[in-house]
Amino acid sequence: MNNNTSKYSATQGIQHEEALLFEHAHEAPESIHLPGVEGAVPEALQAFMRQQPANIPGLSEPEAVRHFVRLSQWNHGIETGFYPLGSCTMKYNPRVNEQVARLPGLAHIHPDQPEDTVQGALELLYEVQQWLGEISGLPYVTLQPAAGAHGELAGLMMIRACLDARGDTKRRTVLVPDSAHGTNPASAALCGMHTVELKSGADGRIDLAELKAHLNNETAALMMTNPNTAGAFESDIKEICQLVHDAGGLVYGDGANLNALVGVARPGDMGLDCLHINVHKTFATPHGGGGPGAGPVAVNDTLKPYLPVPRIVKDGENYYLESTSDTSIGSILSTLGQSGVYVRANAYISAYGRQSLYKIAEDAVLNANYVLHRLKDVYHVPFEGVCKHECLLTDELQNKHGIKTLDIAKRLIDLGFHPMTVYFPLIVHGAMLIEPTETESRETLDSFCDAMLEIAAQCEAGETDLLHDAPLSPIRRRLDETQAARKPVLVWPQ
Amino acid sequence: MRFLPHTDTDRSAMLESMGAASIADLFADIPAELHLERGQLNIADALSEAGIVRKFTKASEKNRNATNTRYFLGGGTYNHFVPAVVDYVISRGEFLTAYTPYQPEIAQGTLQALFEFQTMIARLTGMDVSNASMYEAATATAEAALMARRVSRKKRVVIAGSVNPRYRSVTANYLSRLDGECIEVAMGNDTADFGTDMDRLIASIDDSTACVIVQYPDFYGSVYDLAALRAACDANKCLMVVAFSDVTAFALIESPGAMGADIAVGSGQSLGIPMAFGGPHLGLFTCKQKYLRQMPGRVCGLTRDADGKRGFVLTLSTREQHIRREKATSNICTNQGLMCTAAATYMSLMGDAGLATIAQRSAAALQMLVSRLPDHVSAAAGAHYNENVISFANQSARDRFLNIAQAQDIFAGIALEKIDVHAEPRHLLVSTTEMIEEADINDYLAALEAASE
Repeated sequence: MNNNTSKYSATQGIQHEEALLFEHAHEAPESIHLPGVEGAVPEALQAFMRQQPANIPGLSEPEAVRHFVRLSQWNHGIETGFYPLGSCTMKYNPRVNEQVARLPGLAHIHPDQPEDTVQGALELLYEVQQWLGEISGLPYVTLQPAAGAHGELAGLMMIRACLDARGDTKRRTVLVPDSAHGTNPASAALCGMHTVELKSGADGRIDLAELKAHLNNETAALMMTNPNTAGAFESDIKEICQLVHDAGGLVYGDGANLNALVGVARPGDMGLDCLHINVHKTFATPHGGGGPGAGPVAVNDTLKPYLPVPRIVKDGENYYLESTSDTSIGSILSTLGQSGVYVRANAYISAYGRQSLYKIAEDAVLNANYVLHRLKDVYHVPFEGVCKHECLLTDELQNKHGIKTLDIAKRLIDLGFHPMTVYFPLIVHGAMLIEPTETESRETLDSFCDAMLEIAAQCEAGETDLLHDAPLSPIRRRLDETQAARKPVLVWPQ
Repeated sequence: MRFLPHTDTDRSAMLESMGAASIADLFADIPAELHLERGQLNIADALSEAGIVRKFTKASEKNRNATNTRYFLGGGTYNHFVPAVVDYVISRGEFLTAYTPYQPEIAQGTLQALFEFQTMIARLTGMDVSNASMYEAATATAEAALMARRVSRKKRVVIAGSVNPRYRSVTANYLSRLDGECIEVAMGNDTADFGTDMDRLIASIDDSTACVIVQYPDFYGSVYDLAALRAACDANKCLMVVAFSDVTAFALIESPGAMGADIAVGSGQSLGIPMAFGGPHLGLFTCKQKYLRQMPGRVCGLTRDADGKRGFVLTLSTREQHIRREKATSNICTNQGLMCTAAATYMSLMGDAGLATIAQRSAAALQMLVSRLPDHVSAAAGAHYNENVISFANQSARDRFLNIAQAQDIFAGIALEKIDVHAEPRHLLVSTTEMIEEADINDYLAALEAASE
């Protein structure tokens, strides 16, 4: 693949093997110099002393730095390359946000110190709470949910509480389109509800007839994503919400795809009752290799009484935490939320401001359509029409050459790109869901599209071994996931 | 806008290439009445980068923080020392801006760090296996209760009243919409009851009980023996779940695993993660090997690649929501991945010796403080790690002290009723770490004296 190095960004580079911490076999060096009271351990604790050391390997500082820096170099990140993961919104994470989140008055404050000593922090969180309400069109916001799925749980708890308050205690069915994220049915189950799957229409959207057929006096909610996970806007959204409301249910919005709508249109105006927002997607806080995220939930007047506590409220010029409420669903976290994530989100929204926020959605949608347009003649497009912030392709045209979505994804790695989301949504066979985000240049998009076209050409030319063997360039090739699951080894033996 | 690479020329050229007249064409599928007028949301005006730094610096300066105040605050969040290297490692873009490692060939860095994290957490807690994190301690406790119900195929959950009230309320909240009871065993209201009453707890277990949840050291900092509880759990075929709030304890005192825990959950915030006003922190989840397939959340496992080289992948995904949907072991998806990398870095810098030093000094500071308390305040008796309740004659005496201490740059403790709403308003939950020096304790005691005058 070396003949590609001039065209794509991938390179063999300097790649170091790096042993496990536990294999750096020498006696631990002198312990790090620590502050504190060098007094005696209390007599009363003597009976409880640990008998066997934990066997945590201690490295000197230079060794530890090199170990983790080398590990870091085995990772693809947004800062190292394009990351077109559909429904994940891997956009650039501004560095100034990291800087301000580390200010001592924001990083080194305790959640239970007196409220008058954290007014600056509360002000920033309150502000972002209000802004999320404004952006979603659902004015009341809880910052407590720690991630999207946690927000789903909070939202469904509120919906259930609202229905119970109406005396609708038989409503326990949540309608979920078959294109939904897997967290949706899992969250419903955790909330003591069961899901009924709605089969998507021929255009990948919610089929109104299918929806009507399933609405009844047991319907608690419709849980939907708009734009949906095929990247299409549910143009019947107002009618959908009306149908659910007329049937006595509520509408829950999964905000994973909010990036398509920021500053352009608002879920609250569409008739949704509730929306969780993935701050780590739409509002550019770093994914961190799997987290942390934040999953605030925005609701309308119907659900406001049921918001979790504590909530930040403003009284004149002062901010405080409201910790009790008769109708609240209670607490779902031990603190008020992932404050550090919200500090970054505040900085992000501040950078765009009122004037420019809509440009996020506009450029995100422009980029996705541009990629769709460049690839649509070579890859199968299951649903016609413009897409929103992500576009959906399948491997149908490549299947006849024995090439599957997984092969295409792995070959992209050799060419210097992170693969797109694969095999999701489940409503099409061999899905490839591409979300470029607004922070990618035309140059990068073209390079990615060139790579996709080259892979398709290699399929046509019968160069299938190259694709089946991919990736060849990273530090590890395809990993045996079956073996990992059959005989799980999750810790290094002592 | 500095985060957007396109010029208007780029945008026009891209639109033209796809035969679109304007951006509006791409939004034509959104009904016209739903379109917002651009730039009209009620959000502050855009700030330059310098403006952002100024705004946040100003907000930061309004907050008292651990660089200018001595923290005797705990209750689940602790001011331990964070070495510079930890923040450096998690600031590296390759860790910071990576997604969940679903493409393992280009995520071996995150995956190996997770494997090292899981190994060190299992060792520190004395448990067989660890997952790759939960959000924080309260949700980890709730997930432990749910897991115990699956493992035991029973539905009754018993939780000690000496478990952090926030962990209890979140757990009760999670369980309240499912069949089965969640019984809280009250520990009494006297000062002497700041601890765990094992007899009461054991009396509440029956053969329909799925699990008993205790905290060790408990919410009041008390350290106690779990052998009798282990025996009672065995007799009733129920699981023993041990929660904890400061995992550094297990570098000094016996681990949950050695005490016989089936599942041990809690906070790993003490392992190099700043307090950050409540998050992001780190939820730890560990269990015995035999319960592995009922464990919630992501896990990283060892395997080989196509060339036979050692490598790591996320594994056991058939438990997870994206495969199992409504039958998943949990709905959790995004976790606290970066905090695992932070904790792994922290532990490798400390090693056994450093962790032991931290634990000894955290305990020694509390011991020094408690042993020198004046007569007008009292501390709960018994063995404590780095947290204890000190009690005043009445609320006004306590609050007078809090104010005097704060004026001398000391946060002297958390008013107990703030977390434990049923407590009389005359107690303080006091916590120490290695960040407390002898001089700080002297100042604390001086403030106590001043408040009594």
